[in-house]
Amino acid sequence: MKTPLFNAHVALGGKIVPFAGYELPVQYKHGALKEYTAVREGAAGIFDITHMGQVRVEGVGALDFLQYVTTNDVSKLVDGQVQYSALLNEQGTFIDDITTYRISDQAYYLCINAANRHKDVAHLQKEAANFDVTVTDESDDTTLLALQGAKAQAALQTITDMDLESIGYYKFARGKIGKAGGIISRTGYTGEDGFEIYMPNAIAVSVWDALLEQGAVPIGLAARDMLRTEMGYALYGHEISDAVTPVEAKLMWITKLDKGNFIGQAAVEARKAEGAKKRLIALKLIERGIPREHYKVFVNGIESGEVTSGMHSPMAGGVALAYVMPEHAIEGDVSIEIRGKQVAAERTSLPFVRSNVKK
Amino acid sequence: MSIPADLKYTKEHEWVRIEGDVATFGVSDHAQEALGDIVFVELPEIGRTVDAAEAYAVVESVKAVSDVYAPVAGEIIEVNEALESEPEKVNTEPYGAGWIAKVKMSGNADELMSDDEYATFLEE
Repeated sequence: MKTPLFNAHVALGGKIVPFAGYELPVQYKHGALKEYTAVREGAAGIFDITHMGQVRVEGVGALDFLQYVTTNDVSKLVDGQVQYSALLNEQGTFIDDITTYRISDQAYYLCINAANRHKDVAHLQKEAANFDVTVTDESDDTTLLALQGAKAQAALQTITDMDLESIGYYKFARGKIGKAGGIISRTGYTGEDGFEIYMPNAIAVSVWDALLEQGAVPIGLAARDMLRTEMGYALYGHEISDAVTPVEAKLMWITKLDKGNFIGQAAVEARKAEGAKKRLIALKLIERGIPREHYKVFVNGIESGEVTSGMHSPMAGGVALAYVMPEHAIEGDVSIEIRGKQVAAERTSLPFVRSNVKK
Repeated sequence: MSIPADLKYTKEHEWVRIEGDVATFGVSDHAQEALGDIVFVELPEIGRTVDAAEAYAVVESVKAVSDVYAPVAGEIIEVNEALESEPEKVNTEPYGAGWIAKVKMSGNADELMSDDEYATFLEE
């Protein structure tokens, strides 16, 4: 599938690859490293993330429904606030990780992962049958752009009436963007200040062009993955999947066990009581090398787990997120096997590089 | 796309410069372009013998890990250690400062392509 910006990507020298059913640029003509640098070092990077799905949840039962199907406490949200959350199955493992936008007490908006869209929508619609609520998949009508980096606010302010300064971190506003209505949230996946912009497909090209005119640098999937990995943000299919619960994935902070009954709650409580099967840790190579997904992790010479995301960070060197046996999460000499050789690593805290989000 | 006339090429997009019995290896402009930003080069050990078409080095781009194959057989006599700190030279000067290793040749170079043959190969 092509997004409304497909021709714009090709015109900018985008190297198009298949991604979650879409044809998206992995990088543009100057390469992923320059794109990464633009976002980290003061410009504004613009990302076509239209592949992400959007689901509208409306009705008098909306809050009760979302409390039941998501892990975080939706009752804590006020109008115009965004919450990071997850959908679990009865086994307590991840169907997806999502963000929940509260428009009003009876209207919410969920942003979901592209690869999980049909699975999520089917799950939500099935569960919705027991609540006074409607679940509508609006993904095909919506273009989603991210604008990230120090210059994001100034660039975006030129095309909207909304007062961006007044939109706090994980807050959003609805209003005019270009010639149509849309949603702007101060959210992102890069660790820089910035926004995600939801708009009807009809204005996608004009908004994209206007932001490029403001100096925004187009960013492909490769640099996007570098930026998110440096922050240690989980990515579905890597750190989280239907094989792990929030206990393993270090996501108990979005899993509110005391908020009332929700899908997966009992299983997560049980897992918490018995202890995680494995633990997600952050590693930094001491020796030269680049950790990559699925590389084996050894602790005290014992194979303990594997890398879920790894990269060469221009600022931090070889860094990785990895699952290891719970007894190896804190102590023991760690190494990552790279092409048959043990390369020494050390545990580190996240993020791997300093975050500049405006909290 | 640059294809210098004084070099020989392989179908795996390596180049070789033959001077007497010493051959210098690198990857072609086409290869570096396809690989994208090179962020790591794993060099072979000096003294190692390699066969023609044997993987002797590894280059890693932002997204991918790729083996680099020896165009001719020989013993590694020198490696480009500068690539450990400046792997991007493979991108910026693939035929110059981005060379990877030198070997003392033990085999022949009969299987290699000329610049014209490589240009034709790329077009196909």
